[in-house]
This record gives sequence, structure tokens and C-alpha cells, in this order.
Amino acid sequence: MGGSRVGWRVGALLSPAFVGLGVFVIGPALVSALIAGTDKTLTGPSFDWVGTANARTAFSDADLAGAVRNTLVYCLITVIPAVAIGLALALAAERVAHGRALVRFALFLPVSANIVAMAVVFAYMFDSSPDGFANTVVGLFGVAPVDWLGDTSTALPVVALVGAWRLTSFVFIVYLAGLTAIPRSVYEAADVDGIRGLARLRHITLPLLAPTTIFVGVFVTILTLQTFETVAVLTKGGPLDSSTTIIYYIYEVGFTGSFRIGYASMIALLLLVVIVALGAGGALLGRRLRRAREAAA
Amino acid sequence: MSAGTSSNAPAAADPSAPAGHRGPSTPTPTAVRSRRRLPGAGTLARLALLALLAVGIVAAVLPFVWMLRTAIGPSQTALALDSNPIPSRVQFDSFDQAWHAGDLGPALLTGVGVSLAILALQLATAVPAAYAFACMRFRGRTALFAVVLATLLVPAQVTAVPNYVTISALGFADTRVGLVLPFMTHAGMIFMLRQYMSTIPAAVLDAARMDGLGTWRTLRSIIVPLAAPAIASVSVFSFLLSYNEYLWPLLVARSPGIATPPLALARLMTDSSSVIPDFAELAAAALIISLPSLAVFVVAQRRLAAGITGTGAGA
Repeated sequence: MGGSRVGWRVGALLSPAFVGLGVFVIGPALVSALIAGTDKTLTGPSFDWVGTANARTAFSDADLAGAVRNTLVYCLITVIPAVAIGLALALAAERVAHGRALVRFALFLPVSANIVAMAVVFAYMFDSSPDGFANTVVGLFGVAPVDWLGDTSTALPVVALVGAWRLTSFVFIVYLAGLTAIPRSVYEAADVDGIRGLARLRHITLPLLAPTTIFVGVFVTILTLQTFETVAVLTKGGPLDSSTTIIYYIYEVGFTGSFRIGYASMIALLLLVVIVALGAGGALLGRRLRRAREAAA
Repeated sequence: MSAGTSSNAPAAADPSAPAGHRGPSTPTPTAVRSRRRLPGAGTLARLALLALLAVGIVAAVLPFVWMLRTAIGPSQTALALDSNPIPSRVQFDSFDQAWHAGDLGPALLTGVGVSLAILALQLATAVPAAYAFACMRFRGRTALFAVVLATLLVPAQVTAVPNYVTISALGFADTRVGLVLPFMTHAGMIFMLRQYMSTIPAAVLDAARMDGLGTWRTLRSIIVPLAAPAIASVSVFSFLLSYNEYLWPLLVARSPGIATPPLALARLMTDSSSVIPDFAELAAAALIISLPSLAVFVVAQRRLAAGITGTGAGA
């Protein structure tokens, strides 16, 4: 390969993508990191460098602490059920002999859903009226009507339910893909050795799915940390900030009220650090797993 | 699922191959059958699986069914909700109301147009980049690819403010161009296409070189046709993501004339909360704006799963 000519071609092939990423992702991320050190507001023309003041504010901001707590709760009650149920459904769907297309179609549906449209539908299903769908259902079990989205103890779980509903479908698709990648010969060998049923699941299928689990766990957690639409449409963070997630708090600080873009950028930067750490951790774990497997093989 | 799925993922086993050893239609090898456990346990397990699937399917479909059921029922407010599974009367007035009150016609055009424009730009930028990363050797390739992947981790909220400033400075604030430009390329698309193109045998590229095909001809007449299934997959993802995007239009599309469908729906919801919201109208609006993404999904649902398999996420 003739060095500089290849370089020229590679440059031509890569530059459109890198212009896009540079101007609209990498550049803005760096600018955002700089703004995080200022007291800039969206509306004010001038601003000053304040150094680490925004970071110090963040660590003593009670509202942010509440948003972090809400986000952690949201992640826990979304990611764990979504991964567990998505996996169970994928294992079940893989064994269906008839009507697989229909099963998959139904279970893929939530991924394609418009999240704002679904939030509107869920808001209606979880209306506080005694005749609302959710209240009618719990009423069958003798439970008094609940003000789902207006009560500080139920607002966040209902928002999380919408998230989990959608993510479960995504997890299902990923696990289904992971399952189809397991060679049939592995199962046949296991069958000959008399390993089947739950034993096969525990000792063969789940270990083989471990890379998929790491991928899906990390990916879904990162997605969940960035929850915005459902909160914006269902509760606007309320009541009494009980469903304000980090991303929604960033939106509130930077794009509403006094438009404190500098401070919002600092919170976003701190969140980015967490996300990068998670992503790197996932990648590292995945690589270690692959290495161990290659060493064993 | 038919064999259509497997064509996209050369590395994956054929998903149409029967799974479930105990499925009634898949005969087990006789040697295994003789060692089977009591039939009762198998039946019970199968029933449990079916029950699980049934619950899962009902949960997945219920919100859609409820949206449809509410939209075709009589109008209803929070003061008098109707949660009967069967509406007392079937009518389609709500669709008409929603269409006009939410200005959904222009919103649908904007949404589909913007999503297709984004798709065209993303393909134009991502296909060449993926080709370079997959099929060419050059210094800094690993580092540059790592940079591409790293951009996937940046939340939209981090880039929103600087992008808003850029778009405003270019004079595209509150325009459809402003809705499109920031999404002109997508690292996820570059990644997925590269994964797929990496499986194209080196012999094919060597043959193209021997035949005197240059970089562009190779890309156009060899790579693009071979990667067509992956290109179809990422196109479906791209359309669904763009069409459902909410945050960026919320910031940029200030005037109602260029509202995207999710924005139009959210505005219809907040506008009507000053009076008493008519849930039938909101459900009808939600249904109308869901149609383009549902249509894409129905036509291309196989590509969704195949696309994920192609990323190497599967095992």
C-alpha cells in the first residue's frame, strides 16, 4: 500500500463523519466542559470564570442530591426487572414452536413505540380518578384509588414502569440475538451428557450469555441514566421533585427558570464522568471474560 | 422468523433453526429421548413458559390496545373516565379533533421529512467511514475508532447548549435544517456498519483491486451491495431514533409550524390541561403520531433484531 495515497483516501472517507462528530459532539462536549467552569446563563451576554465553584455547589446542592437518589432508585427498579424479565422472555420465546413470528412481533413492539405517545397513554391509564385503568385494576383487589402521578411515593415508580416496559423489549431483542448465536452443537452435546432443563440453563446457557448480559446491563444502565422524555411528559419532575432525575434536573437548571447553563454543564460533566466509567468498566469486564474464555478453550 | 434474519448476520447461527428440544414439532434424537425425565415435569415447564410468554405479550401490547380503545371510544375527561375494555360507542370524531387541534398534518410531514433527511446524511457520512475502518489499514485507526465509540457515551444534554449556539449562529434556529444538522452523523451507525463490513472477506477486496477498481468504485459497486442488509438495519434504527427524538426539537423548534410529532403531542397535552383534557382526543393524537414509526416497524421488524445481532452484541 502506497503510504500517502492511502492516507489521502482514508482522510476523504473519514472526514465527513469526523466533521459531523467534531462539530456536533466532540467540540460541544469540550465547550461544555469549559462552560462548566463559568457562571454563564443562557440569556445573559457576559459571564465570568468561576473555577471549581460550580462543582462545589453541585456537591452541596440538596436538590441535586435528591435527583441523584431518584435516578439511582429509578435505575434499580428499571434495569434489574427489565434484564431479568427480558432474559426470561427470550428464553421462553426461543422454545416456542408455533407462532414465533407473532410472539416476537408483540414483544418487539414497545421498542418501536414513540415514547412521548406512550407516556401520554400511561398518564391516562394511571389517572388519579377511581375509574382510571390502574385504579380499576387495583380496585379488583380491594385497594383504594391511588393518585399515581400526584403522590410522592408512587410518581417515580410509575415513571420507571414506562421505562421498564420499553427497556424489557430491548433487552428481549438483544438476548434473542445472543441465544441464536449459541451453536446448536453445544446443546446437543449437553443433551448427550444428560444436562438439560434448569441445569442446562445454569451451566450452559447463562454462562454463554454472560457477554450479552454485560453488554445489555451496561447499555441499559447508561440509557436509564439519561431518562428524560418520560419524566418531562408524565410528571415534570413532580410532585415536590419526587420524580426529578439527574437529566431532568439538568434541563430544569439550564433551560428553565434562571437558565444557569454554567452550572447545568457542570452537572452534565459529572454525569458524563460516571457514564464513561460505567462504559469503560463494562468494556473491561467484557474483554476479561473473552480472554478467560479464550484461555480456557 | 424466516431465513431473512440470518442473511444479515454471517456470524450468527440460523435463527429459524428450531430451538427448544422438547417442542412438539422438533423430534429429539432417540438416544436422548430414552433418557428423558417423567413427562409431567416437561409439560409443567412448558406450561410455565407459555404462561410467562402470555403475560409478557399482554403487557407489551396492552398500552397500544388501550390507546386504540380510548381513541375510538366516546370523548372522556378525568371527571368521567371509562375503563371498560369495550367502549360504549365506537366513533372516529376524536381523530378529526386531534388532527386539527394538534396541527398533526404538518407535524407528521416535518417528522418524516426531518427523519429521512437525517437518514440520508447519516448514511452519506457513516458508510464511507465504516468502509475505511473495516477495510483499510492506516496509522491511528484504532485510536480514531475509539474516539468514534467514545462519542456514543456523551449524553445529548451535554452537547445541547453548544449545539444550540452553533445552530443559532448559522441562522438555523427554529428551522427544519436546525432540526437535522446536529444529527448529520451517528457513531452507532458507523460502529454497526463497520462490524458488518469487517466480515467481508479480504479476497473480495483483493479481487476488486486486481480488477483495477479504485476506492470509490469498490465502495459503490462492491461494499455497498454486500453491506445492504446492514445498511437496511441501521436505516431502520436511525429512522426510529430520529422520528422519536424529543429533547432537541423541544429546544430548537420554537414556532408551532415546525413542531415534530412528539412535540406536537406534548403541546396538545399541555395546552389542553388548562381546560379539561379529552383523553379520547389525546389517545387519537398519540395513535396518529405513532403510525409512521409503527409502519416502519411492521415492515422492517426483522431488521431490528438482525441489526443487533450484527453488532456482535450476541455472544
